[in-house]
Amino acid sequence: MKYRPTVGEILQAKGVSRRGFLKYCATTASLLALPPSMIPRIANAIESARRPSVIWLSFQECTGCTESLTRSASPTVEGLIFDAISLDYHHTLQAASGDQAEAARHAAMEENDGSYLVLVDGSIPTGNPGYSTIAGISNVDMLMDTVKGAAAVVAIGSCAAFGGLPGADPNPTGAVSVQDLVTDKPVVNVPGCPPIPMVMTAVLAQFLTFGQIPDLDKHGRPLAFFGNTIHDRCYRRPFYEQGKFAETFDDEGAKAGWCLYKLGCKGPTTYNACATVKWNQGTSFPIESGHPCLGCSEPKFWDKGGFYQPLSTGHFGSGATVAGAAVAGVALGAVAAAAGRRRKAKYTKEA
Amino acid sequence: MDLLEFARGPALQFAALVLVAGTLWRIVGIAFLGKKPDYSEPRGPGGLGAALKVIWTRAFTAEPFKKATLYPKIMAYVMHIGLFATIFLFTPHIVFFEGWMGLDWPGLPNNVIYFIGVATVVSGFALIIRRATSPVLKLISNFDDYFSWFVTMLPLVTGLLIPVRALFRYEDLLAIHILSVALLLIWLPFGKLGHTFLVFMTRGTTGMVFERRGAKT
Amino acid sequence: MSTANDIPIQGGAAHGNVRPILFEVLHALDKLLDDDIPTTIDLAGLPFGPGELEKLEAALGHGELVAQLNALGTSHIRETAYPGVWWVEHRNVNDEVTGRYIEITRFPEILSSQDADIGAARARLRETFE
Repeated sequence: MKYRPTVGEILQAKGVSRRGFLKYCATTASLLALPPSMIPRIANAIESARRPSVIWLSFQECTGCTESLTRSASPTVEGLIFDAISLDYHHTLQAASGDQAEAARHAAMEENDGSYLVLVDGSIPTGNPGYSTIAGISNVDMLMDTVKGAAAVVAIGSCAAFGGLPGADPNPTGAVSVQDLVTDKPVVNVPGCPPIPMVMTAVLAQFLTFGQIPDLDKHGRPLAFFGNTIHDRCYRRPFYEQGKFAETFDDEGAKAGWCLYKLGCKGPTTYNACATVKWNQGTSFPIESGHPCLGCSEPKFWDKGGFYQPLSTGHFGSGATVAGAAVAGVALGAVAAAAGRRRKAKYTKEA
Repeated sequence: MDLLEFARGPALQFAALVLVAGTLWRIVGIAFLGKKPDYSEPRGPGGLGAALKVIWTRAFTAEPFKKATLYPKIMAYVMHIGLFATIFLFTPHIVFFEGWMGLDWPGLPNNVIYFIGVATVVSGFALIIRRATSPVLKLISNFDDYFSWFVTMLPLVTGLLIPVRALFRYEDLLAIHILSVALLLIWLPFGKLGHTFLVFMTRGTTGMVFERRGAKT
Repeated sequence: MSTANDIPIQGGAAHGNVRPILFEVLHALDKLLDDDIPTTIDLAGLPFGPGELEKLEAALGHGELVAQLNALGTSHIRETAYPGVWWVEHRNVNDEVTGRYIEITRFPEILSSQDADIGAARARLRETFE
């Protein structure tokens, strides 16, 4: 087995001082949404952590997740976490191609059997295996083969986590998520379209630091980032409570930055960290830019009604069925009334 | 399909169909029931005027009962006005109605609605405690009274749990709230809650009958 | 042609997220003085509207001490106008903010010379005599 240096050794080799290391640990704690009181524990763990091998598989996807991740300018402190992993296979980023690339994957799997991480972006088609292949291998086969010796699997983005766009109605390729197929390994879902780069990094940092996957919610998402709704952490929340809503995208309310609930914001039912972690080096997030939350980190978000339809709108059929019920009601009423009249006529006769 | 999708889809649709069919069944059934022939000499016209008069006068308590019924009267008014405000003046509800029938009207701030909601729940409990403890009311109450109270309070209580995120997560609380509304809509036409649409019809009829018989209204 | 930066940001009005944090700082000062327990508030986990972070920074003001740490990028550590309350800002080598904290303590730990570095320094200095 190749010698894998500890993260402490890697940082030392880069000439990072102890103060720098403490700063790195503080940022990691912040990244993992852990209280600052955890910093000493993180420092201890990171010093002795060994560089894990990572295999990244891309299936039915748009490369947006990889774009999101690599947009975080390096070398940042998060970037150092990436220095601390060994990305042994990623068919968009690696230099090797064809047989050599596949050989790299197999080598990484053999060398790190039982301890490597598999990251997946994109959904997996279960219809015709020819819908999506890599090096002539169908996505299902490649996934199942690769996860065999993995310590854990991380589904990056809503496609890998929940099926995403390829899985949206009518789902022509029979696309499914990673957790639909991988049931005997821990699967962490990091949904989003794309996911926040910090959150992707944080899951890696968590694994690197503590050697285990983070606490997850019912959809398999790390609670540290998916524990609160966008609505609960939204700076526009006070406007919601005050009843101040933007009615259109260009009215006075929209200009004054009022709540976007009426414009279809899915913030109340969406669990993600956008409202606090934000995007583009902490610049802003969609609501801050004046657009309602689409709910992209939730399962089946493409099929949950219109993006601009308010959350409390009912999702029921047309007026036709209601009209049908009305006709039925009137008919029932008429029958009941007729029966009542007959009864009454009988009694009056008898009287 | 998750719980929320089920609640605001099929569950709400089914409830709406039952509500519409049930309400029309009862209104048509009662409206065309016809009257028993009245062979007595009419002591008044017993027309629309009489109906409107009783609808108005019955909004207030008759003098002899004023003192005895002041407390439940206040509570009942708080509850009914509170129900109106929480149902029709809460913005997420207005958005629901707008999505359904295209009509939009101004709402109250959510904080105000939460306050009204709590007041409504308190008045509801005041009334049910009175019903359950008063010897007379106990005698004339049946399952319908208690169940109607229950299905009315349920959406209020589940609705109030949403802003405080009590017990469950937002989307589950919202689903439970909508399901409780579905239960209310389904029960509404059939029990005593039918007074929602029958109250003025029956009071008007009473007024017409009373005037015809020469009773003081 | 105007750029995005020319569009004035509106709605910088009170979103009400500054006061609760100041209140938390007040409590932390109680804890520091009465029980000798320091507190760190991680500002990354808190919701801020446009302009609110600046407002918080302005509310705390500038105090007597300013320090700059050069390790993995620059960090700015300064005491605010309220002694015992420190504003700590970590930046990476690209000068992007990677962490912002309010530390309520007598002296931020990261300013102390660290034993590991002192040990390395001793070894290095000793080498000059050999």
